[in-house]
Amino acid sequence: MAPKVFSIPALPRVNSVAARALPIVSTIIAAIVSILPLRIPGYAALTPAFTLMAAYHWTIYRPDLLPPLALFTVGLTEDLLVGAPTGVSALLLLLVYTVVLSYRRYFVNRTFPFVWSGFTILAVGAMLGLWALHCVLDATLLDFRVTIFRTVLTIAIFPVASFLLGRAQRALIGAG
Amino acid sequence: MVIRLSPQIRAAIQRTTLPILILLSAAIIVLGKADKMLFDSVRTATTDSLAPALETVSRPLSAAGNMFDRVQGFFTTYGENRRLAQENERLLKWQQTALDLATDNQKLRGLVRAVPEAAISYVTARVIANSGGAYVRTVMVNAGSDERLARGQAAITGEGLVGRLTEVGSRAARVLLITDLNSRIPIVIESSRTNAVLAGDNSERPRLIYLASPEAVKIGDRVVTSGEGGVFPPGIPVGIVSVLDAAGPRIEPFVELSQLGYLMIVDYGLSDSLPQPVPFPPRQGRRGKSGVADEAAPR
Repeated sequence: MAPKVFSIPALPRVNSVAARALPIVSTIIAAIVSILPLRIPGYAALTPAFTLMAAYHWTIYRPDLLPPLALFTVGLTEDLLVGAPTGVSALLLLLVYTVVLSYRRYFVNRTFPFVWSGFTILAVGAMLGLWALHCVLDATLLDFRVTIFRTVLTIAIFPVASFLLGRAQRALIGAG
Repeated sequence: MVIRLSPQIRAAIQRTTLPILILLSAAIIVLGKADKMLFDSVRTATTDSLAPALETVSRPLSAAGNMFDRVQGFFTTYGENRRLAQENERLLKWQQTALDLATDNQKLRGLVRAVPEAAISYVTARVIANSGGAYVRTVMVNAGSDERLARGQAAITGEGLVGRLTEVGSRAARVLLITDLNSRIPIVIESSRTNAVLAGDNSERPRLIYLASPEAVKIGDRVVTSGEGGVFPPGIPVGIVSVLDAAGPRIEPFVELSQLGYLMIVDYGLSDSLPQPVPFPPRQGRRGKSGVADEAAPR
């Protein structure tokens, strides 16, 4: 039985520790950034989903260096830290990983607008799912407007995150 | 990876980890929902162990915020000074009134032999993390049971009530903001002495529920904690009634909850008298520990 989805033979091997650690470390940084207490009015509720961006980027470019276990740990830790229902972020990141991985071949070596459109679809789906899940968990219909603003902000910030992640990737890992 | 596995085994492991982890996350969500206490110790341990790191990371941000305030203050000094002079004049009159009232109050208390109020002490703590996201309203502060904080204590700023401690580790504690979906605070409307409960719904303006007499509420009424339930000191300013509609009144909090820097945690001397978890018959198991004292179930 040949592994189809999960083996990624085309990616060049990297040996430097820094390069191998980059996807995980940047995902952790994304998680930290999203809980930093920035004193901007209304920011806490609208904080863009930075971990989602990191997970999307690395699942497309270096899924071999971002093991599901890392996503699970980062997601779970984030939930525990902010006092959110435990496991929600972990589940979200893992589902994102699964979905992006199966469509990965359409996104590798494509122009940025294409990658961005992919992220837009993903972010809308993820935020909708998150909203629905929280509605079920809290057994109430939650205000949808905040979710819309947060989704828009997440999509709008993605180019910046993608640029930074791409820069770091080229510097440490090389083109991928 | 030190252990060398055959490619087939590695592929098999890789193939199965993802589904297993997804199932595990789903299981954790369901378990955490079914038993709210289940992950409490894990959560406190995580918070405690990562608090020093978060504190370090948030320090420059806090410094930058202070610097921004200072630069801004530099440009507004003149106007600010005039405003303060006027305010000072007004406050001096109030001070006189307050002193008169305090003397009166003391005399009257003596007459009716009132029990003296418990002494209040404060711990000041810095906000080191907030809950990024639309579904939770909490902040983490860099003080914990080492500074004698305890669950249920009120967190305030100079302006008014911020929330209450829901989780206290040794070095860090979590404050459930009054806007959070799970926050329930017993309050009283100052002018009419109407009791109600302030219920957060994740919006910026929490609702008033269980109003004793809804018709008595007017826009602009001040809302303060009632101290009912014995967890909070009475009289902490909360906010003013800003919206009146079919769904009930909403409160505009005095504190700008999205811009919290430092918080004061109030030790009202009541934390020892917080109702202890009620022992339930053993059949009901762990859930009995949650106790009846919670106005809101901690997440």
